[in-house]
Amino acid sequence: MALNYQEMIQALQVYWAERDCVVMQPYHTELGAGTFNPATFLRCLGPEPWRTVYVEPCIRPTDGRYGENPYRFQHYYQLQVILKPAPEEILDQYFGSLEAIGIDTQRHDVRLVEDDWEGPTLGAWGLGWEVWVDGMEVTQFTYFQQLGGLDVEVVSGEITYGLERLAMFLQDKGSAWELEWAPGVSWGDVFRESERQWSIYNFDEARVDLLMREFTDRESECRRLLERGLPLPAYDQALKASHVFNLLDARGAISVTERASYIARVRDLARSVAQDYLAAGERSRDAAAVA
Amino acid sequence: MPLLLLEIGCEELPAGSVYEAEAQLPSLSERQLGVAPDAILVGPRRLALLATVEEPTGDEWVKGPPVSLREQAAAGFAKRHGVAPEELEERDGFLGVVKPAQPLAETLSGALDGILQGLAFGKTMRWDDSGLRFPRPVRWTCARLDGDPVEGHGTTTFGHRFTKGQVEVRSAGAYAETLRAADVEPDAAVRERLIREGLDALGDWRDPLRKLPEVIHLVEKPVVLDGRFDERFLALPGRVIETAMQSHQRYFPLGGNRFAFVANGGDPDVVRAGNENVLEGRLDDASFTFERDLEAGIDELASRLGSIVYFAEAGTFADKSGRLVRLVEQLGGGDASLEAARLAKADQASELVREFPDLEGSIGAEYARAAGYPEAVSAAVAEQYLPDSAGGPLPETEPGRVLAAADKIDTLGVSFALGHRPTGSRDPYGLRRAAIGLCRLATEGGLTVPRELLPEEVAEFVEERFEGLLRDVPVEYVRAARAASVPDLGSVARLAQSLAALPDERFEPIHTAYIRASRLGEKEEAAVRLDPGLFSEPTEREVADALAEVEPQIADALQTGDFDAAVEAGARLGPVLHRFFEDVLVMAEDATVRENRLRLLLDVRDTLGALGDLAQIPRGAG
Repeated sequence: MALNYQEMIQALQVYWAERDCVVMQPYHTELGAGTFNPATFLRCLGPEPWRTVYVEPCIRPTDGRYGENPYRFQHYYQLQVILKPAPEEILDQYFGSLEAIGIDTQRHDVRLVEDDWEGPTLGAWGLGWEVWVDGMEVTQFTYFQQLGGLDVEVVSGEITYGLERLAMFLQDKGSAWELEWAPGVSWGDVFRESERQWSIYNFDEARVDLLMREFTDRESECRRLLERGLPLPAYDQALKASHVFNLLDARGAISVTERASYIARVRDLARSVAQDYLAAGERSRDAAAVA
Repeated sequence: MPLLLLEIGCEELPAGSVYEAEAQLPSLSERQLGVAPDAILVGPRRLALLATVEEPTGDEWVKGPPVSLREQAAAGFAKRHGVAPEELEERDGFLGVVKPAQPLAETLSGALDGILQGLAFGKTMRWDDSGLRFPRPVRWTCARLDGDPVEGHGTTTFGHRFTKGQVEVRSAGAYAETLRAADVEPDAAVRERLIREGLDALGDWRDPLRKLPEVIHLVEKPVVLDGRFDERFLALPGRVIETAMQSHQRYFPLGGNRFAFVANGGDPDVVRAGNENVLEGRLDDASFTFERDLEAGIDELASRLGSIVYFAEAGTFADKSGRLVRLVEQLGGGDASLEAARLAKADQASELVREFPDLEGSIGAEYARAAGYPEAVSAAVAEQYLPDSAGGPLPETEPGRVLAAADKIDTLGVSFALGHRPTGSRDPYGLRRAAIGLCRLATEGGLTVPRELLPEEVAEFVEERFEGLLRDVPVEYVRAARAASVPDLGSVARLAQSLAALPDERFEPIHTAYIRASRLGEKEEAAVRLDPGLFSEPTEREVADALAEVEPQIADALQTGDFDAAVEAGARLGPVLHRFFEDVLVMAEDATVRENRLRLLLDVRDTLGALGDLAQIPRGAG
C-alpha cells in the first residue's frame, strides 16, 4: 500500500532526522519557496555546519488557477533538506530517501537531469538537477554557489521535494485533488476551495494601492532595522516585500520594465541582510574566541 | 607499448559539458602525454581516455647557461640538477648536464592532473574546499598503466548508479568491458547507435526539437521504450502534442498517440507506465490551457496585448502589433496580411505560449482558424517567424512573407534603437538570423523591401548580411552595390550580382575611369555646371554625348530592375572614357577649361556611381 500524503511527509522527516537534520517547522510569513526560509538562506551563509529538514508552504500567486487546474496551485508544499557542507555521498543519501518512501530505484528509472537554479530576488544561484522518476520531476537538487550576491563559504546541498508531485507518483493519481492526505481525506478536500478564493484575491481583489504602499514601507523598514543591527527581523521585512511584489505581479500591476527594478530592489535588501548577518556571525565568533 | 587509462568520475554532467570535454581531451592528451588518445569514452558520469604511451628511453640533454657565463651561472645550475660544477658538460657553446629520462610512472601522475585541471567549461561550480572547479562534482579518478596503478589515482570505478556499485578495473585494456559488465556503455558512439537502432525498431520516429544529442548523455545504459497516450489528446494540434513530448520530457514522437523515450534502466513495464502518466499529465495540462485560450478566442487574446510588455522601453505587444500593421501597409501587403499583422502577436497573451514558448506563431494560427479567419490569415500568422534558421524554409504564402518581413524589420529596429546590437558571438535576440531572414525574403522570396523602411544602422547591418549570403559574389561587389541609389533590398543583391557578372575586360575601363574621375574631380575646384562651349578636344564632346545617352539608360534600367542592362549601359562608356584619359589633359592651364573638364569628370563619376561605389572594388579584382 502506498503511503498517504501525511505518512510520506513523516517518513521523509524521520529519514533525514536520522541523518542528523534538525526538524524545523514552516516559517511564519509567506515564502515563494523553501529557499527563502532563513533556515536555508541565512544558515547557508557563513562557515558553520547546518543540517535541517522542514516542510514549507510555497505561496506563488501567479500560479493559482481558481482550483480548476489539477496541476497548478497558488499554495502548495515543498519539503526542504539542507546539508551543509554537502557530504560526498549526498546523492546516495538522497536516493535512500526515495527508497524510504517506497520508490524502488531498481524497478524505476531515476535520473538526474541538468537544471541550474537561479533566484533573482535572493541574488542566488547554484548548479544541480531536477530528479526524474520515470519521467516525473519529483525533486530539485542544488549545490548553492552564491547567496545574497556573495560566494558561499561552504557549499551546501539543497534538496527540495515537490510533495504533491511525489505523492501523485506514489499514489498513482493523475490529479492532486485526488491525493489521499489522511484516511478518508483528500488533498482536494483540504485545499480546493482555498485555491478558488485565494485565486480571486490574488488576481482580482488584492488592493494595488495598498500593496504599493506596503512594498515601500517594508523596504524602508528593512533598511531601518539593518541600521539598528537587527538583520533577522530585517530579513522578514525583505520576505514580506518579496511576497507583496509577487501579489502585485499577479494583479498585473507591474510592467516588465518595472518588474526588473522591483526584483533588483528585493535583491538589494537580501544582499544587505546577508552581509550584515555574516558580519554579526563573525563578531560573535570573535567574541567566543576571546572568551 | 603500454596502454594508459584515465577516468574522471563525476556526478551527472550536463550533456553540453560532456561535449565540451570530448572536444578538448585529444589536445590535452597530446599536450600532457605527447600522444593522441586511442579512444575517448564520455558520458554523464565519466570522462575517460585511453592512450598508448611510450616509456621514454635514453638520456636527456638539459641545456644550461652559455659557456661564457660559466663564472656567474654554472654553480647555481649545477646545484639545481644535483651535480658538481665541474661535472657539467659543454655542447655547442652551452653548459649542460645529461640526465637519464624520467620513467613514465613518475611523470604520469602530474600529466593526468594536468588533463583534469586543463579541461575548460562554460559553467563550473565548487563543491568542497579542494579548489577544483568542474561542471558537477568530481567524485573519483581511476587510472591504470596497463595493469599498474598510477600514483594519486584510484583503480576502481563505479558501474550503473542503481544496479551496480564500485568495481575494480584490472587493467587499462579491460576498462570498457569492465563497465559493460557493470551495466554501463562507456562509448557515446555506441550509445547513439543503440538508441537509433532502438528508435528505428519502434517505427517512424522524429526529433523536431533535436533532443537526441542531449539524450545520448542522459543515460549510461540506454533502454529504448515506447508508450501510448489516451487518444482523446489527439484533438490537440500536432505541434502542441510534439512540444509537450519534446520540450521538457525529451520524448520522440512516433506518430498517432505513440511516443518513444530512452530510459536508463528499471522494469520496462513500470517505467513505461510512469512515463505514460507523466505525458498524459502534461497533455492534460496543455489541453486545459488550450481550451481556456480557445474559450477566450484570438480577438480577446489580442485585446490583452496592451498589458504585455514586448521589450523594456519599446512598449507593449499592442504597440508592436500597431507597428506591424503599418509596416505591412508600407510593404504593400493586402487585406490578409493586414489582418494577420493585427492578430500576429495575440498568442503572446495565451497561457499555452507562456508554457511552451516554442509554440508561438503556430498556436496563434490555430486560434485564428478556430475563430473562423480565412486560411490566408491563419497561414501568415503561422509563418511569421520564418525563416527561423539561416537555411530554413521561407513562408510559402505571400501574406506570410510580408508579415515575416515586417516582424523582422520591427525587431531589428527596436533592438538597435535600444542599443542591443549583436557583438562578437553574442546575439541574444537572434538579430543576425532576423537580418539574414529579411535578406532571403527579399531575394529568394521576391519580396520588395524598401530600404527606406530600415533605419540607417539597421540597413547597414542587414545589407552587410548579403556579403555572406551571395556566395558567388565577392564581398566588394556587395559593398559597391550598397552605395547605389536602388530603392529596395533585393535590388542591392541583384545589382551586386550583375556587377560581378560583367566580364573583366569590360569592367576594367569603367572601373579605372570611375576611380580616376572621382579622385581628380573631388580634389580640385570644379565648375558648378558643364559648359559645352568650353570644349576644345573632340573626345570631351564625345564623353558628354555618351553621358547624356547612357545616364537615362542606366536610370531606366535601375527603375525597371534590369540590372544587367544597367551595368551593360555603364560598360558602354568604357572605350570613350579610355580615349578621353589618353587624349585630354584635364589639368589645363586655363582655369575655366580645367574646371569645366573637372565638372565633366564629376558627371562621369555620378553617372557610373548610379551603379554603386565602384571604388569599393579593388583594382584587378574584376
